[in-house]
Amino acid sequence: MTAAATFFPLQNGETVLLPERLADLTGLGEFGVAGELLAAFIAAFIVANIMLAMTGVAGPWAKRKITASFTDRIAVNHLGPGGILIIVADSVRLLSKENIIPENADRPAYDLAPIVIAGSALLGFAVIPMGSGIHLADPEVGLAFVFAVAGIASIGLVMAGYASGNKYSMLGGLRAVAQNIAYEIPLVVTGMSVVLFAGSLQMGTIVEAQAEPLVTIAGVTIPSWFALVNPFAFVLFLIANFAEVGRNPFDMPEAPAELIAGYQTEYSSVYFVLVYLGEFLHIFLGGAIIATIFLGGPAGPGPAELGIVWFIIKIWGVFFLTQWLRSAIPRVRIDHLIEIGWKGLLVLAFANLFLTAAIVGVIA
Amino acid sequence: MIGLLKSMATTMKHALDGSTFTVEYPKTAPDVSPRFRGVHKFSQERCIWCRQCENVCPNDTIQIVMDDKRNGEQYNLHIGQCIYCRLCEEVCPVDAILLTQNFEFTGDTKQDLVYNKDQLRAVPWYKDIDPLESREPDRGAWIGEGEGDVDYQ
Amino acid sequence: MSTGVEETPDVEREAELEELLGDRVLARETHLNAPGVVVNPGDVQDVLFTLRDEAGYDHCSCVTAQQYEDRYETIYHLKKFADPTDEVSVVVPTPLDAPVSQSAEPVYRTADWHEREAYDLVGIQYDDHPDLRRILLPETWQGHPLSGDYDQDKPQVVTLSEHANPLLPDHRDSEGDTMFLNVGPHHPATHGVLHVKTVLDGETVVDAEPDIGYLHRCEEQMCQQGTYRHQIMPYPDRWDYVSSGLLNEWAYARAIEDLADVEVPEYAQVIRTMGAELCRIASHMLALGTFALDVYGEFTATFMYTFRDREIIQDILEDLTGQRMMFNYFRVGGVAWDLPEPREEFFAQTRDFLDELPAKVDEYNDLITTNEIFQLRCVDTGVLEPDVAKQYGCTGPVARGSGVDYDLRRDDPYGYYPELEWDVVTEGGCDNYSRVLVRMQEVEESAKIVEQCLDILESWPEDERDIQANVPRTLKPDADTEVYRAVEAAKGELGIYMRSDGTDKPARFKIRSPCFSNLQALGEMTEGEYIPDLVASLGSLDIVLGEVDR
Repeated sequence: MTAAATFFPLQNGETVLLPERLADLTGLGEFGVAGELLAAFIAAFIVANIMLAMTGVAGPWAKRKITASFTDRIAVNHLGPGGILIIVADSVRLLSKENIIPENADRPAYDLAPIVIAGSALLGFAVIPMGSGIHLADPEVGLAFVFAVAGIASIGLVMAGYASGNKYSMLGGLRAVAQNIAYEIPLVVTGMSVVLFAGSLQMGTIVEAQAEPLVTIAGVTIPSWFALVNPFAFVLFLIANFAEVGRNPFDMPEAPAELIAGYQTEYSSVYFVLVYLGEFLHIFLGGAIIATIFLGGPAGPGPAELGIVWFIIKIWGVFFLTQWLRSAIPRVRIDHLIEIGWKGLLVLAFANLFLTAAIVGVIA
Repeated sequence: MIGLLKSMATTMKHALDGSTFTVEYPKTAPDVSPRFRGVHKFSQERCIWCRQCENVCPNDTIQIVMDDKRNGEQYNLHIGQCIYCRLCEEVCPVDAILLTQNFEFTGDTKQDLVYNKDQLRAVPWYKDIDPLESREPDRGAWIGEGEGDVDYQ
Repeated sequence: MSTGVEETPDVEREAELEELLGDRVLARETHLNAPGVVVNPGDVQDVLFTLRDEAGYDHCSCVTAQQYEDRYETIYHLKKFADPTDEVSVVVPTPLDAPVSQSAEPVYRTADWHEREAYDLVGIQYDDHPDLRRILLPETWQGHPLSGDYDQDKPQVVTLSEHANPLLPDHRDSEGDTMFLNVGPHHPATHGVLHVKTVLDGETVVDAEPDIGYLHRCEEQMCQQGTYRHQIMPYPDRWDYVSSGLLNEWAYARAIEDLADVEVPEYAQVIRTMGAELCRIASHMLALGTFALDVYGEFTATFMYTFRDREIIQDILEDLTGQRMMFNYFRVGGVAWDLPEPREEFFAQTRDFLDELPAKVDEYNDLITTNEIFQLRCVDTGVLEPDVAKQYGCTGPVARGSGVDYDLRRDDPYGYYPELEWDVVTEGGCDNYSRVLVRMQEVEESAKIVEQCLDILESWPEDERDIQANVPRTLKPDADTEVYRAVEAAKGELGIYMRSDGTDKPARFKIRSPCFSNLQALGEMTEGEYIPDLVASLGSLDIVLGEVDR
């Protein structure tokens, strides 16, 4: 059981990252830098596949099932138990379709956009501590990094928007930029209030800071998750996050009833799959950030080995919330959206930051 | 804000009660009413070749061909253009036409949707009700003679 | 039917008209619904201005064009919003070799599209019309299909034309950059094959012009080829094909019953009223659901819930009529069937639905009307001022959402409505939100009507259940009898003009579609607003392209 002891580093208070441990376990570490690189690559491959598998479940199956239950329908149920094999059927269907590229497409940009959209989200998972020892890297600027790479997606949206040679795509791309600029700032500023509490941008430290007990009521210890310490910041962050990943009621860049499908109107086949995956990855990345900085990361009852399970449950919780809102809440109009962003959220975010700073200062 | 929460609560209520109103067609087909008008069924035994159905049909769905002794030769139904108005059934003096409860039929081409009198014989009959009985009330009204000075045939 | 009173020419009114118009009246005609005045093609605007401003005929309900052996004729069917039974028909004959007449567009904005249609299908030209182009048929069409010399067998070449100049000169100035955007004919929010030519400045709509005709199915001409007695009745179901079939059938039934002087048994009228109001509920449910779709995006819960409720009505109507949407249930002089047996079951089923309805309406209120974002989206968007609505001939929930108190069920009574207790719903907001509220409340009012009809039907004496009048098998109304009759369909005033020529088929059959008139106002409602508002306004107009294009 010594291996297990090293496998769950957070228990010991020391951070051993997945690539390092893989290097140790497989003996790749002996091959110097090249070996470590390979180990890192394998680790990244594992994490990326976990995430892609989750999007695979979410996109063709869970989304349909959740929407169906909100709308009193049955949804997919023919292939496999509960229709779960629709995932396979849909993959085959989507991948075997003809990839139609519009005549007026701006080629390199048109081809790159889906990769940028999907890739940027995957990059973000590198610094997320997922529990059970799955943590690729823990740089000191972890939180800044994750916001930065998530922000790259908007470049992908603009590329897709203008390179498609379609006016609806163009409008979608423009909306995406306007929206991302308006909501990125409140998002980051609200995130800053967490940093003030934790005293670090490092994801590992932020998670550890939340492990402290907040209060103990009748023998039940409630941890100091930042969502409980500062619910106001949590709600602000949730709203800004929905806008950032473009979910209802802020799904402006796509807005199916208005812009057909916005920036992704002209994408088909594999490119469409990438764009679609990218969208779900961004929801999950948003969920992962929320889980990490507000919900104690992989923390949860039971042994620490279950960390990844708790973490995934939290991510899915956020995903479920996006689907719930999708069924229940109308889309806001683009001008209202910008107004809410600049005049509402930004002000509230700064108010939250100053208040937090004051409180932290007083406690210190 | 309260309105938003009310919307969310309403949808959640529906999600949690687990009821669905859609059915798994074709596994569970919805019931059709006794009066439902589906595929046209033609009975050659009853037909007296009066051609009234051909006459009343609003869009030439029914085509009847007679020989020179005014005996019926062909009875073709272009079911693809039928609008299921049931006028042919109403006009038929001998109940040779009934619209069945069958609404499931397909064809790849327009040609596939032309039924001749033999094919019409194979159209599924009513399930377990007597169509004539359920349609009885309107007959009197149909056959009734007009009054007044309007010229009728 | 209270036709007896209306058919006798109102001597007093005619004298008034005579005095007002003086020697501009060339001759007088009598239509079954209204007195007709024949005027010179050059006097049209003058006469219409006089009638509108001095006599108060503020509603140009319909413009009918037709060709006789020796002349073309345009008929303007005028009404008053305050009293739609006060009607007058302005008949404008033009010679065969020079079918040119003055346009009524400066007087009634709604005449714009109606005259374009007349030009398109019949071939009458209108001087002073701002934009006399074809409206239903493609620009390159040869000939006018409803004119006498039209050759149906001549092949038509419809070219694929590029849009001439997307950036129209009048929408381009030195500073602003505008973009031309085709919304439709294939777009998720156009409710069918509608094409809106939109000019955008950023996301703001500078100009929106609906381009219709993609679903033109020659309905008028098909009806002209059908016999009055049977063959026309199946078609009205297919005009507004989203479950308002019985309401449409009633429009034809009312017109033909006036034309052929048929008295409908009262029992049949009660059944008709009940069926029609069930259709109205179904139709408004669909309008509500699709509007939610336009505002929420994607398949929202509201959409499915409204479909669930509409489904129940369709089941009831299937039991009653035999079909779920294409009912063909009305007959000239009555209905096709009595209530389904066992009757108690039918009553119970319908009452169950009515009992559950208030809870469902509450649920819709929770879901949409009290939702703050929904209010943000709908209040003060798509504003249609009452005066503008009247100018465009808007009727139905669209007009009532603009505070125009106009409902033919009350103002021009037919069926069993006068005997029942119910209210006309109006809202003064003039915006998308008001139109939603009007539809929601009309659902409740319709439920009231259905409830009362059920009570009446249950207690109706067993031996007086006549469902059809005794109508001859062939109807041949007197030659040259003309009638224009309208009913309150789900979308507004659905009118039928018919002229008989002594045969068993109408010589001219003209449909006044409420959606056609309502859609005209789209440009006025959306200019200066955002694309999302354009989509929402289009949804709140609740158009059905089958009825717009016919």
